Amino acid sequence: MLLKKTLLLLSFIYCCTVISQKSTIKDHAFFFKKMDSLNTIPNNLLKVTSLFFNNQQWDSVIVYSSKALLNKMQKPHLYYFNYMRGSSFMRKNLFREAQKELEKIPNHFLFYNKVLYALSGVFLEQNKFKKALLYLKKIKEKELSAFDEINQLSITNDIGVCYLHLKDYKNAQLYLSEFLNSIKKKNNTTETSEAYTNIANLYYEQYKDSIAISYFTKAYKLAQKTSNNELKRLTTKNMAVVEENRKDLLKAITYRKESEKWRELVYNQEKIYEVSKLEKKILEQQKQNEINALKLENKAKSFQRNGFITSSLLLFLLLSVGAYFLIQKNKSHKIINTQKTELDLLNKTKDKLFSIVSHDLRSSVNLMQKSNTKLIKNIEKKNYSSLNTIANKNASIASSTYNLLENLLNWANIQTKQLYFHIESIDLYSVVQQIEYNYIPLFENKELNFTNNVKQPSFILADLDSLKIIIRNLLDNAIKFTPLEGKINCKTSIDIKNNATLFIIEDTGIGMDEKMIKELLLESPLLSRKKNQQEIGTGLGIQLCKNLAVKNNASFNIESNINQGTKIILKFPNV
Amino acid sequence: MDNLNILIIEDDEELANDIADTLITNNYTVVGIASNYKDALTKYYQFSIDLVIIDIFLGENPEGITFAETISTIPNALKPFLFLTSSKNRQIFERAKLTNPFRFLLKPFNELELLYAIEMAIEKFYHQTNVFASKSEDTVIADEYLFIKKKNTLKKVKLSSVIYIEVENRYCNIITEIEKFVIQIPLSKINEYLNDRLFKQIHRKYIVNTEVIQEIKISENSLLLKNNHLIHYSDKYKDLIKGFCILK
Repeated sequence: MLLKKTLLLLSFIYCCTVISQKSTIKDHAFFFKKMDSLNTIPNNLLKVTSLFFNNQQWDSVIVYSSKALLNKMQKPHLYYFNYMRGSSFMRKNLFREAQKELEKIPNHFLFYNKVLYALSGVFLEQNKFKKALLYLKKIKEKELSAFDEINQLSITNDIGVCYLHLKDYKNAQLYLSEFLNSIKKKNNTTETSEAYTNIANLYYEQYKDSIAISYFTKAYKLAQKTSNNELKRLTTKNMAVVEENRKDLLKAITYRKESEKWRELVYNQEKIYEVSKLEKKILEQQKQNEINALKLENKAKSFQRNGFITSSLLLFLLLSVGAYFLIQKNKSHKIINTQKTELDLLNKTKDKLFSIVSHDLRSSVNLMQKSNTKLIKNIEKKNYSSLNTIANKNASIASSTYNLLENLLNWANIQTKQLYFHIESIDLYSVVQQIEYNYIPLFENKELNFTNNVKQPSFILADLDSLKIIIRNLLDNAIKFTPLEGKINCKTSIDIKNNATLFIIEDTGIGMDEKMIKELLLESPLLSRKKNQQEIGTGLGIQLCKNLAVKNNASFNIESNINQGTKIILKFPNV
Repeated sequence: MDNLNILIIEDDEELANDIADTLITNNYTVVGIASNYKDALTKYYQFSIDLVIIDIFLGENPEGITFAETISTIPNALKPFLFLTSSKNRQIFERAKLTNPFRFLLKPFNELELLYAIEMAIEKFYHQTNVFASKSEDTVIADEYLFIKKKNTLKKVKLSSVIYIEVENRYCNIITEIEKFVIQIPLSKINEYLNDRLFKQIHRKYIVNTEVIQEIKISENSLLLKNNHLIHYSDKYKDLIKGFCILK
């Protein structure tokens, strides 16, 4: 901003001079730089104040500088505040305070020239030309550096104006013409016009009207070329005053009118500023409204989005719950299926049991009944000689029926997994001995020669009771298929490689062919029925033995030749 | 050598008598037959018992297991026992199995099976399996007794009545206050199971009952035991004797 004070000469001429006090804030670049570089503790305060100063918020500068001045601060820093405060006072037209503030600064202050310049401005504003001249001269005498950022020319002009007002025309002419000459070189229309005005005023004061008028006209014409309305108004007004004094009233009126016009333009300009400010405000308001609307829209959108997310989440949840139930359903289906197959198997087992019971057990009990009837008849007839054979037959029927029942029960137990199983160390010799004890009458009955050639002791790993079932069944078979006076032998041999014991039951019975062996060893739960056999048998025994052998980690094998006897070989793991 | 005292807990009178007869013929002593839980407990604490034969089902309920559970809760009072059962019902067995260590015998059984089961029960209870069936050993060492197999039966010898043991190859001569006999047992087993507070080895061949030492004849390197048995001790085991003397 230009500080440009129009001084209306209150002498009879009413002409205006122009001083060129241009202490623009722009000229303070070095000043701000220097302030920034100051590394002080309340540096913040200084920065804030300088920022306000730079933005020409004078009131704020005053407030903050007063704060700073209240804090006791290092002197050189204090002067910056003093300067800024003084300058701000001047801008607010509080000249006395400005003068006070500026005069506090001693001459060793880095920017003392600026202070002097500001002081001269203060006095110029108050029309105290003598004092202003004093300060301006002081500056003029000094060697000015670029650092001071003071226009030498404007000092010259200001001194000239001061002399003019002090009516020291000689000196005024010296400085003003110097200014004019320097300005002309710079080819700046506005400043040249100002210089012409001042020169014209100088001559006008001295009543050298013709020269003065020519300068006024020059100034006027130059001013017309510029866009500076204030300058136009000034020059026009000067022209009006000059013409009025020449009594050329017509011209004077036109000039006056023109000047009025310029004044109005200036005024209008101000108005336009205000209007534009208002417009700006309205625009801002509109923008704010738009922003608000956008914000609202955003809110709505985010709400929508949230809604979408929630609904999708809900959907996902629903889906996963559905999937879970589906899986559960499938699982239960699977379980049901496996249960079904299990049940089917159990049902088959049950059917088989029933078939055995209905056929074999029935026939064997039937045989017993018939035999008993015979026995009773014989007793009635007192035919005692045949009683013995019948009783023996009965006994054998009873025992084989009992064996059948026992096997049925055990087999059912295995099928229903109801059998308690405990593998431990067992002496095979003792077990064979124990079983032999029960079979002695049977052997004697058939005059069979039984030998227990099991090595003593033979400790194997097996479940005692299932082992007994196996041996009993095998002995039953051996007795069944061995003719009178045959031999049955139990023996063991050691399989060192597998750390196992081979338990062998051999007989001199009727034996069987390969096909039969294969059939017996076939892994089938189905019970084969033996044909052409008068004795009761279902093949249940061998199946049971095979099953139990597997449970005892034993292998089961048959070696046989027709009419040469059978060898059953079981391989048990050793202790 | 004494007979084993056996308590039979069986509600089937005929079977109980059968068992008792079998046991008596095989030189076991039947101290009593109990037919119910309460009776069984009374008799159990009344007599000095070496083994209990328990029928799992007394009447309708598996009171036999309850009895076994009861005596199992008092570890010091626990004696070897043998379950009798007619079915291998899994549920019952799972419960019976908890009264560890347990042996069972499936009905019906013959004489040999019963005797074998008794032997197995004794072996299992004292954690020395495969003894009685083997040819190389015939003795199980318990806390208070030696259980020795003699033919088809088991005999017991009170350890406190043993004066000394003479080791000879796979055999051991047991010298008690009243008799002298031979058992089959490896030295390693004696060292592992014999009560070492009571018995000390004083020589490669001799293990003595420290309670019956009458005199230590240091000049002769020998011990005078009860019944005037004079046992020579070797230098290798001298320290043992010395430590023992100081304690005395």
